[in-house]
Amino acid sequence: MIVNAVPPCQAACPIQMDVQGYVAAISRGDLQEADRIIRRTNPFPSVCGRICTRECEFVCRRGQKVDEPVAIRVLKRFAADRAESVVPCGPEKPYYEERIAVVGSGPAGLTAAHDLALLGYGVTVFEAEDELGGMMTRGIPGYRLPLEVVRKEIERILSLGVEARTSQVLGRDFTLHDLREEYQAVFLAMGSEKSFCPDCRGVDLSGVLTAVDFLKDISRGERPDPGEKVVVIGGGHTAIDVARTCLRLGAGEVSVVYRRTIDEMPAGMDQVEEAQEEGVAFRFVTAPVEFLGVKTVEKMRCVKMKVDKSCKGKGSLVCVEGSEFDIKVDSIILATGYGPRTEPVQELFDSLDGKVEIKDGSGATNMAGVFVGGDFLSGPTSVVQAIASGRTGADSIHRYLRSLAPVDTPEPVVLDDLDDQVAALVPRAQRRKIPALPVEERIKNFEEVELGYTLEEARAEAGRCLNCSAGAVVSYECASCLNCVLVCPYEVPRPGAERAEIDISQCQACGICAGQCPAAAIDLGLDPREKHREILREVLDRAGREAPGAFVLQFMCDFRQSRVPPSESGKAVYQVFRPGLGRMDVYELLAPFQAGAAAVQVAACRDQDCKFKDCAGWVRKNVKRAARVMDDLGLDPGQLSIVQE
Amino acid sequence: MIVAEAKPLAEIQGMIQGYRKILIAGCGTCVTVCLSGGAQQVEILAASLRTAWKQQGLAWEINEETQLRQCDPMFVQQIRDRTGEYDAVLSMACGAGVQTMAETLGDIPVLPALDTLFFGGADGQGGFVELCAACGQCILSRTGGVCPVARCAKGLTDGPCGGAQAGKCEVAKDTPCAWQLIYVRLLRLGQLHLLKESTPPKARRVHPARLVREG
Repeated sequence: MIVNAVPPCQAACPIQMDVQGYVAAISRGDLQEADRIIRRTNPFPSVCGRICTRECEFVCRRGQKVDEPVAIRVLKRFAADRAESVVPCGPEKPYYEERIAVVGSGPAGLTAAHDLALLGYGVTVFEAEDELGGMMTRGIPGYRLPLEVVRKEIERILSLGVEARTSQVLGRDFTLHDLREEYQAVFLAMGSEKSFCPDCRGVDLSGVLTAVDFLKDISRGERPDPGEKVVVIGGGHTAIDVARTCLRLGAGEVSVVYRRTIDEMPAGMDQVEEAQEEGVAFRFVTAPVEFLGVKTVEKMRCVKMKVDKSCKGKGSLVCVEGSEFDIKVDSIILATGYGPRTEPVQELFDSLDGKVEIKDGSGATNMAGVFVGGDFLSGPTSVVQAIASGRTGADSIHRYLRSLAPVDTPEPVVLDDLDDQVAALVPRAQRRKIPALPVEERIKNFEEVELGYTLEEARAEAGRCLNCSAGAVVSYECASCLNCVLVCPYEVPRPGAERAEIDISQCQACGICAGQCPAAAIDLGLDPREKHREILREVLDRAGREAPGAFVLQFMCDFRQSRVPPSESGKAVYQVFRPGLGRMDVYELLAPFQAGAAAVQVAACRDQDCKFKDCAGWVRKNVKRAARVMDDLGLDPGQLSIVQE
Repeated sequence: MIVAEAKPLAEIQGMIQGYRKILIAGCGTCVTVCLSGGAQQVEILAASLRTAWKQQGLAWEINEETQLRQCDPMFVQQIRDRTGEYDAVLSMACGAGVQTMAETLGDIPVLPALDTLFFGGADGQGGFVELCAACGQCILSRTGGVCPVARCAKGLTDGPCGGAQAGKCEVAKDTPCAWQLIYVRLLRLGQLHLLKESTPPKARRVHPARLVREG
């Protein structure tokens, strides 16, 4: 039985974001707290909230066994966009004397700069382009990631005292040697933007472009005419970005040619679907052979491919003999792979395999004080991978400069899948559709396609989270009464050898067992009991001071979408929120009267609306029990009621 | 386990009348399991009494504490130093716990907040049923594991009275006839011959019983 483990969403995230934590904060409408949790590990939440490859969603336990995964990416976007901007608090001036140079200002470089500045180092970032951001500002089109969103995040990082030098090209304006003279450590994160072109005749013809250069021009505001018929070669995110951009530039026919099958595309399926919706055509298992034309490209000769599955891995590709055919084109854009520009730092690369030589996972090279990271080290990946690499780089540099031993972080224990019988008992709730511009409108311009959730939508979607690993924990005070076994709607608790046992990997965190535990021996990771008691005490103290004997206390559920039940007119109303009202006990219903409440109202869900199975029923039982006590005390039990809209 | 239930609030209020500072003491064993006197019930009783006093405009004091087991003086000793400041202790233990606490604390009134009902077992969520009368001379080996002393309304040990109907006791219609249960169980066990043996009379119990282990 697992009693302490990490939810799969967190384990799958390259930066181990506390997904469960910030999603829970959103569900109770606490966007500041959500943003704070997100920014603990991610300096680019509004970027990741738009373009993250969302490894978390693919392993979401709700998606695996219940219905669909929680829309984690969009929730992150919502929190980061809506939370009030709080400038991170760094040291006024660098704490340490050592200065660090970061070359490349993509997500890896800027994350390293952010972390190092927070650690207390003076950091200078060198960027070859005239604007910071790497592929975030000079690659990903604005309809997916608006420039102002990235700029806002970069400003936060610069506000930590990070110095930025733009239009500074390594190898042209300065050398690695110069940096090593002036700085005590160097982090190289120049990305992976040297295009690999297919070995085809005609690749030099006019009208044959590389995706990176094309997207850079677009991001600078240029609007080139790609012609009527455009073919994009490649199967990654960049290929899709280019194809959709061409539609927006007025191309009539845009097709993506990919040599493997749709299932093998590195691009996310959501991106592929959005491109299809907009009218991008796809030709799979097709590869270019030759680009034909006089000076300007006019045709592309293609061949059909066959995947030979007998080989290891994805299988090798074989041309289908006699399958050649021509496609008429006005331009061809190549998105067929990228690698790092090695020339300026050739000394770091192995002369044999052309790969940068690093000592270990820290990114340290054979040259003292020089570290590498991001796509420059790994080849093209995702923003979140680059952020992870930036974090590792910053940590490694700090350890190097302070002579600290590397920390051996053990692999986290990951929660198992939900058992089928537990999953079958979880109430179904469909994933909220992500609002987007209508297709006919979005292909006319570069406006952001995805619109994000409203507060109500975000809270409802966040409420779908199963709160994995934040469930019930049994303490040593357990009297082994096994009441938890009898009351759990999901049949999770079991009689153990010494006390009741609750498998955290199956617990749904409804808290009904905690509310019914006679020994008060069960607590939940999702807001512990003591926190609830403290909040209740504070609210009652305030209510007692402000409206003695004449206040109404309302117990509200974090997961209810609508939060305004009827209240008693003429009386001051105070509200206390709980992540599910089923976890309340009779004491909490009586305590307000002890503090002088005129009435207590419990804003319970209707059975069919509740996130948790049987929760509404337990609320009714508790209210009934408390009402009996009130009757015994000679108080009017009508002062305690369940209110529903 | 010992099964107990909370006394009516009015009775408790009557008992504590005149005391201004009270400690409510829960017990972490049997009465916690039977949902009558554990930490949670202590909290509820304290809140109830405070609310009642507030209604009457009284500002007397109640504190809460739950011992692991009140029927052992060694556990009670742990709070002895703290109890001096109270006018009375309201014990939410069974009768054994209340008496042990009264004996151990000595010079402070210890009042029962529960009525001790029986020795029993769990019977579904929130349910408990009497199973043993602590007669001191167990005959369960002859009765298929069903105790007629505790479970027969008349305490008959040598067969049914004949008044049962449809398997239910004539004294309490929702109670199964213990002797019918014994018969069915022995039938399943293939031990009906045991019914032909008469049960020797039990020696009358002398209270209070004591048990001392030889060293």
